Amino acid sequence: MRTPFARFTPKTRFAAVTVATVLSLTPLAACGGGSSGSGDAKSLTMWTFKQSHVAALKNAAAQFKKQTGITVTVQAYGPDDAYTTKVQAAAKTHDLPDVLEVHADGEDFALGATGIARDISKEVGADWSGLYQKGVQTSGTVTPAHYKESIPSDSKTHGVKEGQRFSVPLTSGTFGIVMGNKKMLAAAGITAPPASYEEFLADLKATTAKDPGNGGVSLGLKVKATGLTWGLQPLAFGELGKEKYQALWGQDASADFASPDGQKVLGLYAQMQPYWMPGTQTLDIDAADQAFAQGKSAWDIGGTFTLAFLQQNGMNPEDVMAFGFPGPQAGAVPKPALAPLALTGLSVSATSSHPENAEKWMKFLAQPAVASQFAKDATEVPSTELGADAASVMGATLADMTKAFEGAPENTYDPNVNDFRPPGYDQDSMAEILADLTPLKQKSPEATGKAMAKLNNNFWATANK
Amino acid sequence: MLRRRTYEAVSGYLFVAPAVVLFAVMGLYTVGYGFLLSFARWNGFAPHWDWVGLQNYKDLLWQNPAYAPRLHHAAIHTLYVMVAVPLLTVLVSFPLAVLLNSAKRMQGVLRSVYFVPYVTSGIAVFFAWQYILQPDGAVNSVLSTLGMGSLAQPQGWLGNPDTALPTMIVVTVWGAVPVAMLLYLTGLQGIDRSVLEASQLDGAGWWRTNVSVVWPLVRPITSIVVLLNLRDSLQGFQTFLVMTNGGPGDHTNVLGLEAYRLAFLKDLAPTLGLASALGWILFAAALVIALVNLRVMRSKT
Repeated sequence: MRTPFARFTPKTRFAAVTVATVLSLTPLAACGGGSSGSGDAKSLTMWTFKQSHVAALKNAAAQFKKQTGITVTVQAYGPDDAYTTKVQAAAKTHDLPDVLEVHADGEDFALGATGIARDISKEVGADWSGLYQKGVQTSGTVTPAHYKESIPSDSKTHGVKEGQRFSVPLTSGTFGIVMGNKKMLAAAGITAPPASYEEFLADLKATTAKDPGNGGVSLGLKVKATGLTWGLQPLAFGELGKEKYQALWGQDASADFASPDGQKVLGLYAQMQPYWMPGTQTLDIDAADQAFAQGKSAWDIGGTFTLAFLQQNGMNPEDVMAFGFPGPQAGAVPKPALAPLALTGLSVSATSSHPENAEKWMKFLAQPAVASQFAKDATEVPSTELGADAASVMGATLADMTKAFEGAPENTYDPNVNDFRPPGYDQDSMAEILADLTPLKQKSPEATGKAMAKLNNNFWATANK
Repeated sequence: MLRRRTYEAVSGYLFVAPAVVLFAVMGLYTVGYGFLLSFARWNGFAPHWDWVGLQNYKDLLWQNPAYAPRLHHAAIHTLYVMVAVPLLTVLVSFPLAVLLNSAKRMQGVLRSVYFVPYVTSGIAVFFAWQYILQPDGAVNSVLSTLGMGSLAQPQGWLGNPDTALPTMIVVTVWGAVPVAMLLYLTGLQGIDRSVLEASQLDGAGWWRTNVSVVWPLVRPITSIVVLLNLRDSLQGFQTFLVMTNGGPGDHTNVLGLEAYRLAFLKDLAPTLGLASALGWILFAAALVIALVNLRVMRSKT
């Protein structure tokens, strides 16, 4: 019997066998590691998840090249979840860039714990960290509190050591900033920021009465934790004061979310129910900000970083009235300040072939003149101390936002302090329950408080095992 | 002669080698790796796995109050999807296939039109669906225009916890109907015309012929359609990830999405083993469904 191969010439057969052999080896070759490191001595690559930072970073990179001859290529990947998976995938294939923009004091530690980010504690001396604002000079450093959080084996930062440093700050600011569209507010007779939560509710009532379709408040609740961390938490701090606020997440049933204190806070937060922008629960942060920029909502809750995005979407910062989430009139802290924190930082990847150049670039970005230009280009609050020029550099609206930072320490809500929560705490799960209170209106404050307290106790039970 | 045979045998093995190597590397290795991972705690980067035995399975199913209640909630949503999607897909695609099969003109064009959802399915289409379903989207606009404004959803179809999951089911069915319809069309065209003529001679009308003759004859196709959609409903999550991210609140969270979240969206927490364990639980469920389906098919055909 003739085999199918018999009719081919030896040369053809040889060629076919060669192709088959190459093909059979291809999958194995694909499983090999990629090239590690990135860039040569005269070039660097940097990744960011902030599209609004790209132009500002490119301008800075042009100046950096003039000074040092080193080219920095800036690439943006977003949204945040996509960036996270991109970084993880690149770490696996050894294709990381030299510098990564990261969420400061969280993501940087996780990247450090996994060996993706380099420990730069020895390189960042006082001359470098002294360039930053006082409150963020040690951002990116593993403090005793951070180390304590990392001890459980299921912690995402497990493995970091006290004193290690995995990032330096780039931008500062805070969450829980409310923005109003000045024109829409003026049409409803509002010309000044509300002095209390009650006034804020009255203002919301006025704008929604004036324009029922577009007078509400937008918040990207598809990103689950926004309602909890940008709305409820500052409100709870204002109502209860620092100790009772922290006790909401404690193990004492008489002070948790099911307690009278918890009920009071949830009841206050539920009063926002009539004023949400229709469908805001289906929007992510960018889409909610976009809706505000397009005039589909009169108010928007975000952070100091939101202004840059609004500007990118065609809104003039001068048309925005900005203020910190106001406290209740009869609360323990009627006028809470919002602590500035490092929002984003810069990390050097462990596979960078020229970490010294990466550090040179990061230190360059911390220089006051460079940071000033960055602030103007990106409409962001830089982490660098700009001194008396800060207000003129950042513009009136951004400067207004930074007024929310001013307050005595005991009256300042600091989202960076988390050591009172149970280890392994998952804010997304907590926020899902809160969403059922408002805007979904599925649960009463009582049922919401019970469910939040139960989940919180579950985290404690897991941590105490 | 022996040399020639050896040469041909080697050539043959080399020709099948790419497929064998691919299967070994992409199939056996990854399956084995994933199975082992389900017994470990790991974040994807730490140098060592912490072996935890069956703890990941226990944590997910009942023991860990931080994971188990979420999983139970997601399982209930998944169950709704698993019941509704195959049922609705069959209810829509079979009549559609019967109508298309009986079309005298433009059958090819119509077939292409009804197949469009399948070839266009992707991220962009799901984003388009999101816009259509928003409070000021096309669905609400059409309802208002038709004088049925009371049916419109002021919070959008994905913003109301009562309509979000049913809406996601409709979108999933929309994507599943084209393939099911094609499978039914194939089955319908395979039916011997003499059987249909015999039923007509016996006095059966269009309805009676389709219900009592055609439907039983395409039962194997129905089994395949149901099985494919059950599997997709059990393990699929992309549509949910893009359109709702499990929201509003957690009212559309499904098991596949929970597995994805545990694997990739936990900020490098060591939950890859949990994700893998959940994947194997889903695999076991899919296997049971397939076996039940096979059994039902055997007993009916």
